Amino acid sequence: MSGAEGSLAVVGDPREDLLVLDDVHTHFDLGRNFLSRESKGVVKAVDGVSLAVKEGEILGLVGESGCGKSTLSRTIIQLIRPTSGRVWFKGHELTAMNDAEVRRERIDFQMIFQDPYASLNPRMTVLDTLAEAVRTRHPDLKGDALRRRVAELLRTVGLNPAHMKRYPHEFSGGQRQRVAIARALAPEPKLIIADEPVSALDVSIQSQILNLLKRLVRELGLTMIFISHDLSVVRYISDRIAVMYLGRIIELGSAEDIIDHPLHLYTKALMSAIPEPNPRAERARERIVLSGDPPSPLDPPSGCNFWPRSPVPHDDRMKQVEPPFEEVLPNHWVAACPFCVSERVKAVEPA
Amino acid sequence: MPPPISAAEIADEALVEGSSLWKDAWSRLRKNRLAVGSLFTFIFIVLFCIVGPWISPWEANTQDLFLGATGPSAQHWFGTDTLGRDLMVRVMYGGRISLLVGLVATLVALSIGVIYGATAGYVGGRTDSAMMRFVDLLYAIPFTIFVILLMVAFGRSLWLMFVAIGAVEWLSMARIVRSGVIGLKKQEFVEAAVSLGYSHRRIILRHLIPNVLGPVIVIATLTVPAVMLLEAFLSFLGLGVQPPDASWGVLINEGQQNMEIYPWLLIWPAAFFATTLFCLNFIGDGLRDALDPKSAKD
Repeated sequence: MSGAEGSLAVVGDPREDLLVLDDVHTHFDLGRNFLSRESKGVVKAVDGVSLAVKEGEILGLVGESGCGKSTLSRTIIQLIRPTSGRVWFKGHELTAMNDAEVRRERIDFQMIFQDPYASLNPRMTVLDTLAEAVRTRHPDLKGDALRRRVAELLRTVGLNPAHMKRYPHEFSGGQRQRVAIARALAPEPKLIIADEPVSALDVSIQSQILNLLKRLVRELGLTMIFISHDLSVVRYISDRIAVMYLGRIIELGSAEDIIDHPLHLYTKALMSAIPEPNPRAERARERIVLSGDPPSPLDPPSGCNFWPRSPVPHDDRMKQVEPPFEEVLPNHWVAACPFCVSERVKAVEPA
Repeated sequence: MPPPISAAEIADEALVEGSSLWKDAWSRLRKNRLAVGSLFTFIFIVLFCIVGPWISPWEANTQDLFLGATGPSAQHWFGTDTLGRDLMVRVMYGGRISLLVGLVATLVALSIGVIYGATAGYVGGRTDSAMMRFVDLLYAIPFTIFVILLMVAFGRSLWLMFVAIGAVEWLSMARIVRSGVIGLKKQEFVEAAVSLGYSHRRIILRHLIPNVLGPVIVIATLTVPAVMLLEAFLSFLGLGVQPPDASWGVLINEGQQNMEIYPWLLIWPAAFFATTLFCLNFIGDGLRDALDPKSAKD
């Protein structure tokens, strides 16, 4: 990746990839104690993320609850401005723009939220909600033309356009999520960030929504970041997978590589937790059980941040020095801690 | 992509209308007999005050000193006061002023409070703190002193009273709207509105305020009687409506002075005032229950 004139980012190239993140940090300062003036600490929700998203792909982002997935998604669309680091979208640097400029870019990236009961304005009909979103791209559209566009959107997400005058509370969870998807599509965005879009839904509805998202990405030429803590869901939908742990991406690669040949111990532990549908395979499944809970992002461990939970003991150096995020195999990136990353890679690396 | 859709098809499909929150609320309110009864009584009182003086043969300020105070009779249904004026017409005129004060001052309080509170809650942070400390500051000024100062500075007028009462009543409104907006701001539909690039103005007006309107309407119906009480209080002190004009507060004050000899002078205006206050309170309670989406939908 290190080009002749020096690459702009660690992972990816802002001139080629749709979205590039370089060493992004999002910290929340909890302020100071009123009397003693002591700092209450800083939550390092996103702590040095480098990532690239290629046009037309679905990138799955997995990680435990509280690892910073949602903060990262809000940082990408600049809903929360990062503390440091750079974000490029279509070659433009979002982090260098002011709020008004970011607002103009916003129609190109949209979000689908987790809770379809909270993500729709209860006082607006589906028609109002979608018409408002359509007009961010086509401000002059009105009357019948606008209604026709809304009807088209509803049909695209598999809803009956006859229901456009209904209010959100008249729909089921799955239908609401379809409305939310239609709203995200309405401004004709390039990138969609889906933040746990199916985890609030019934299992029977989940697969319908997943198939819908997959179809839409293909048919409309979208790019999607799919965030979930559910590995089986991410495995099903993603082209590439990024694994997040405690505010950092620790492994990034194609879906097959991450699932079948994970390099990082943490990824291996995650993969070993996916249940197998075949009972014989399920019985043979080897589980790597991690001890303890993930550490608090208020006071994250230094160095390779996985060391307190790793079954392989770390030496003092790796407890201090942050491992570099490296492309150890073609298109397969990992936080290269010698204790977390398997023997196989170390054997391959010198070649 | 799905096939294009004809205009006629949409027109047909648009006929399938859903039930709105307001329709639901209305159907729930209709089942509340006390609220509906109060609503009709209130409308009756309003019509009585507005239409009454046009029909009645008597003038509100025409005195008949030879007649003096008389009890209810065939000519003067409510009786006459010590100056021989027909009490029924005076109650109607008083009602016009009391209701006008109640509604106008509430509207003033409503518009200032909602916009101020929504802005403070939406912007948050230091701006919010500064804005709410200003509200606290105004809370700390004693109301009577504030009104007396206004009267001294600008002279006595009915409109000044609207301003004075409105300026006090918007404070609680602002606090309620602010807390509602702060709760809503974290909701995903507001985040969605931000990520769609809507302007702050649009987010406040279209996405936040409509969602706090339920409690606001309830508070408004409860503010109207509070304002009318304030007006009565000011008039009682001689700071509000000036004789020979009347409001229910003024009439009650006059009646109270002659309570032992001519009790009807107190009873009629007090009965109208109390009934109106009861009605508005019941309507407010009914609206609160009806607009609460958690109350069972049956």
